[in-house]
This record gives sequence, C-alpha cells and structure tokens, in this order.
Amino acid sequence: MKTISIRAFIPPPVLRRRCLDQRRFYAVQAPGTPAVEIFNSRTKWMQRERAAADTDGSRKVDYLRDEVASRLSERLLDISRHFPKVLDFGANACNIARVLTQPNPAPEATSTKDEPIASRIGHLVCADESPTLLHRDADLPFNSSISLSREVLTSAETLPYDGNTFDAVLSSLSMHWINDLPSVLAQINHVLKPDCPFMGVMLGGDTLYELRTSLQLADLDRRGGVSTHTSPLADVRDVGGLLQRAGFQLLTVDVDDIVIDYPDSFALMQDIQAMGESNAVLGREASGIQRDVLAAADSIYRQLHGNEDGSVPATFRLIYMIGWKHAPTQAKPLQRGSGMVSIKDILEGGKSGNFENCTSA
Amino acid sequence: MGTKVRPIEKFASAVGKCSVESAVYGKCIVADYNNVRKDKCLTEFLKFKDCYMAAYRKR
Repeated sequence: MKTISIRAFIPPPVLRRRCLDQRRFYAVQAPGTPAVEIFNSRTKWMQRERAAADTDGSRKVDYLRDEVASRLSERLLDISRHFPKVLDFGANACNIARVLTQPNPAPEATSTKDEPIASRIGHLVCADESPTLLHRDADLPFNSSISLSREVLTSAETLPYDGNTFDAVLSSLSMHWINDLPSVLAQINHVLKPDCPFMGVMLGGDTLYELRTSLQLADLDRRGGVSTHTSPLADVRDVGGLLQRAGFQLLTVDVDDIVIDYPDSFALMQDIQAMGESNAVLGREASGIQRDVLAAADSIYRQLHGNEDGSVPATFRLIYMIGWKHAPTQAKPLQRGSGMVSIKDILEGGKSGNFENCTSA
Repeated sequence: MGTKVRPIEKFASAVGKCSVESAVYGKCIVADYNNVRKDKCLTEFLKFKDCYMAAYRKR
C-alpha cells in the first residue's frame, strides 16, 4: 500500500513568519520601586517630626529606645574588635550613641575594665530621616565623648553611601516602618566592608498584641467591622529569610519581650504618639479612632489583659538580628553532623558522661 | 487652669471614673470574645457611656 503524503494539504506557516517579523521581549520584572507599600512614609515622617518638636515630651518616652539601644550595644561587646567607622541607620534621637558613652554595662564579662563601649568606635554616623528628632539631643553632654556626626537622609529607605564604607552597621527600633525591607537590608550589606557585622533590632511579631486585640473587639462591637489601628509586623521566622536573601552570612536572630505596665490604655497610646510611633498604615482612617471605640477598647483591655493592680501591660517584642557580610576568609559554619558534643548535655549540666565518651572516642 | 489639658486627657480621666460600668461592659465582651458582633453589648455600653459623658461634662 502506498502512503500518501498529506504535506500538500497543510497550509504554509504564515502566522509563524509574522511572529518572527515582530520584536519579541523576554518577561522581566518591572523596574523601579516595587508595588509593595504598606506604610505612608510621608505620614510617618510628619508624626516623628511633630513628636520630636515637643522636646520634653519626646525625651520622657525615650525609656523604650534607651533600653533597647543598651541591649543592642551589649551585643557589640561580644565582638572583640575596633570599629573605625560605624553607621547607626534609623538613629531616632541617637539613642545608641548616648548608650555607648555610658560606662560598660558588663565590666566583669570582659577584661577591659569599665570604659564605655564608645572607646571601641572610631567614628559614629547617625543617619535618620527626621531632622528634628535626629538633632533633638545635639547639645547634650554625651555628644562630646564620642566622635559623632548626624546626617539627615532624604528617604528612610535609601542609604546614600558608597559600597564597603562601614565597619559595622547598627539599627535600633526604626526598621519596622520600612516598606521594602529586602532592599534596605541589601543596601546595608552593600555599604558594609567584607567580614563586618550588621546588628539590628526591630519590633515584630506579637508587639502590642493586647492593644491590637482590644481595639479589634471594640471596633467589632461598636462599629461592626475591623479597621487597621496597628501595623503589620515582621515575624521572627521572616527575619532569617530576609537576612539570607540580602546576602548576610552567619546569621543570628533572637527574640526578647519587654512588657511595660501602663495606668490605662490611653497612657499607652499617648506614649506611642509621643514616640512618633503612631499608626501610619496606608489607608488608615484619617479621623483617628472614634471616642466610643477608645472607651470600649479601654474596658476590654482591662478585662482581657489587665493586671491585678489595675494597670495594663503592653508587650514589645524585639527581634535582634546579626548578620555578617560575606568574605572569603571568614569563619564558616562547620559541616552538619560534625559536632562532637551535645549542647543539651552542657546546658542541662551534670550529665557529663556523654561528653567524655565523645572525646575519648 | 494654668496648664493646657488635651481633650483626650480629659476624656481619659472621665473614662477612668467609671470603672464599675467599664468592668460590666468589658466582662460582657470578654465572656464570649470569639463571637462578637455589632451592638453585642449595647445596653452595657450605653450605661458606660452615660457615666463617662456625665463625668466629662462635670469638669
């Protein structure tokens, strides 16, 4: 049997030729700023400017920033190094600089007497977007005991520095207002010299969950719906991934809760406002929270979370992160499974039998 | 009145004077906080509101 070719019946590929005539493009991500925008940076800038304009009121609510700055600075002690040039990114009122000039918080932990940590730092650059807040404490005595310069940033999300500039970058309680965290972390990685650390702390996770839940319940009962009164925050699990994505090595992420008691929820909200940390979520209600909701939230706060003595607790969850810029000479983590000692035995103490077996084996 | 009192501070102190009504309202919401709907505790809230509005006007 003879096979008949059907080729003659197939129409010539006209369409294909037409396609080839046109220029074709690969699918690429749109350039420029990404569409993800959670916070209104203009509103945030204004809130911080206004808060700092009231110098006394603003200084009164420095308790949280000072405490967190001192906890972050303690971590600098663990690195036995001299840092010629350090950047404090998102410095607020230079709280880190002030803490650094105070006497060493843990003199017995290190052999270097109780000289302030500032002696380890050559020059500190405090950078922040809000000029009023940044220069608020410029005439206080601590400025003379550390080599310090203040720089106002044009945007909270860009670092106008050349690559390989700084020997360490610190950041305390400002990164929770950044829209594009991956980009900012990558920029921080860029301005660091190789094998130099970034140490940051930001609010995250369950921060102010008491206020968040009370306002939600009050909103539901009074108005029949929920509105955003508190920021969405990064979780601990996210931070590790973010640092890794930005190219940091030898990551350390840990969490610390600070619980502060307030006389009532109004005092808490006033302090947050005085810190310049009010709600700046895009699409928030411009009118603020209705008074009915405020009153309802206060009584729900007391019932749901209140202390025995009538005060109300507020939780601030701090996420500390340490990452090192990659360098070929850097110490690397050991191979998985190469550990000889179980850290569980050491931490639980007493059971040293396992440890001896391992070393003799 | 030498120092200026912010309206919200006056409001806060008015609310603080109604702890009994506030507790009744709070307990009503918290008793079943997984099923809160609009005006779930309306009567309790209105009593609470009457109290703090009276305290607010008094000063």
